Amino acid sequence: MSRPTVTIISGSGEASTDTIPVPNVFKAPIRPDIVHTVHTGMNKNRRQPYAVSEKAGHQTSAESWGTGRAVARIPRVSGGGTHRAGQAAFGNMCRSGRMFAPTKVWRKWHQKINLNQKRFATASAIAASSSAALLLARGHNISTVPEVPLVISSTAFADGAIAKTSAALTLLRAVGAGADVDKVKSSKKLRAGKGKLRGRRHTQRRGPLVIYNPEEDGKELVLAFRNLPGVETSSVYSLNLLQLAPGGHLGRLIVWTSSAFSALDKVYGTTTEPSALKKDFLIPSAVMKQPDLAKIINSSDVQKVLRPVRGGAISKRTNVQKKNPLKNFQVQLRLNPYAATFSKNKEGSKKVEKAKPTRVSDSFIEQVHEN
Amino acid sequence: MATLSSDLIWEITRGNSSTLVKRAQSGGVSFSRDTFNLRNKYSRKYEGLVADKAISVQPGQDGGIVVLTKKADKANKPASHIQVSSVPAKRSARKTYAGVINQTAGRNYRSDLRTDAVARASSIRKSQKPVKESPPKKARGKKAQKSEA
Repeated sequence: MSRPTVTIISGSGEASTDTIPVPNVFKAPIRPDIVHTVHTGMNKNRRQPYAVSEKAGHQTSAESWGTGRAVARIPRVSGGGTHRAGQAAFGNMCRSGRMFAPTKVWRKWHQKINLNQKRFATASAIAASSSAALLLARGHNISTVPEVPLVISSTAFADGAIAKTSAALTLLRAVGAGADVDKVKSSKKLRAGKGKLRGRRHTQRRGPLVIYNPEEDGKELVLAFRNLPGVETSSVYSLNLLQLAPGGHLGRLIVWTSSAFSALDKVYGTTTEPSALKKDFLIPSAVMKQPDLAKIINSSDVQKVLRPVRGGAISKRTNVQKKNPLKNFQVQLRLNPYAATFSKNKEGSKKVEKAKPTRVSDSFIEQVHEN
Repeated sequence: MATLSSDLIWEITRGNSSTLVKRAQSGGVSFSRDTFNLRNKYSRKYEGLVADKAISVQPGQDGGIVVLTKKADKANKPASHIQVSSVPAKRSARKTYAGVINQTAGRNYRSDLRTDAVARASSIRKSQKPVKESPPKKARGKKAQKSEA
């Protein structure tokens, strides 16, 4: 069996006759569970520590008044002369008190994720990006994309051809990814909630991810693409799960340059040969080779051990409605085989043939009246 | 490029998909925004996104209906994987439904969706009919007496 291939699309959007074999990483098993857990962990690794001040709520010399003064025994601010004096302090229930369980900077902010799991998740996310159905389920607008995976000839990027944002946008439009960029542009909304005040004012969708090979395509394209809303760029040598499966959901629309696409075999190796760049990494192989349930059920291996269908093609129906044979001709035929001829000859509407009655002979009448 | 099996895609997307509309009301109904979903119901059978063969019945530009089907062998070519055929508005109901069936179930293409495709075509036709005006309300009670006088 020949390996599946993808067409290389030129920078102007025409499908060329050149094809490129699909790298082995696209055969990696698609495991949403692994991608999800790894994404959850990785997403935590960008967090900055925050905490309330260590002193907050404790900058007073309050002491409890003890019992006998008909007030609660909570520490109270000492002294007089201000409103503050005599007010309760310290407790989490007090105004100006410390919060309950004050946050600490030494919270466990980051997660260690096993390297092999991270690699599995990345391979899985790349494989999922080759399914148009998963791209649609993620919400990408791919109605104009000629083929997934979308591979663009590296000649379109040669010698810094894509150094300007206008050129980058023209390229994306030409290869059919323009609709997805437009979708992102129109999706910009004000964020709901407090995030607005915390440097996360707007929300917007994610657009296509452009994956390039810095050795051949250069790095000018990074600057060209960076001002397009939702479009991200990534080097094929340092792919990031947060970009490949945003939100932990598989199926990001990826625009590959042809050199990046062909470098994938070098980066990820095969299921039997370890990767050249990732030590001891083999592409995981699927536990279940055939995930198509219908194919398994209809396979000769399964079919031959099943007992044959009882009754064959014609099986007797149960619970049939009783039909009136006088009104339903087919049922009548079943009961009365002569009914067909009867109705064909219209015997039902025929008059009974009878000749005129012959007059009885006079001798007979005489005989009757003899007495 | 070999395509993924529908069963696998369904297992991946059944909990989370751009077409899924989940609501807490009515016992947590799940509807679908997928155009290839004839009943707009998010289920393995009806969700067209996951199936390699699926039917969509949509209202046409100038009346009539448009029947879209997915080409099973073009699953990884999104720009060219939809087959369009339309039934003009003047076609009779019976012939419209026959047309829908001839495009799909009649050719062994998702014959399990035969009634659903026809039902959708039927309700689209119904929606395209002009709305009959309700008769003017009769005055009753005091108003009737007033108008009589």
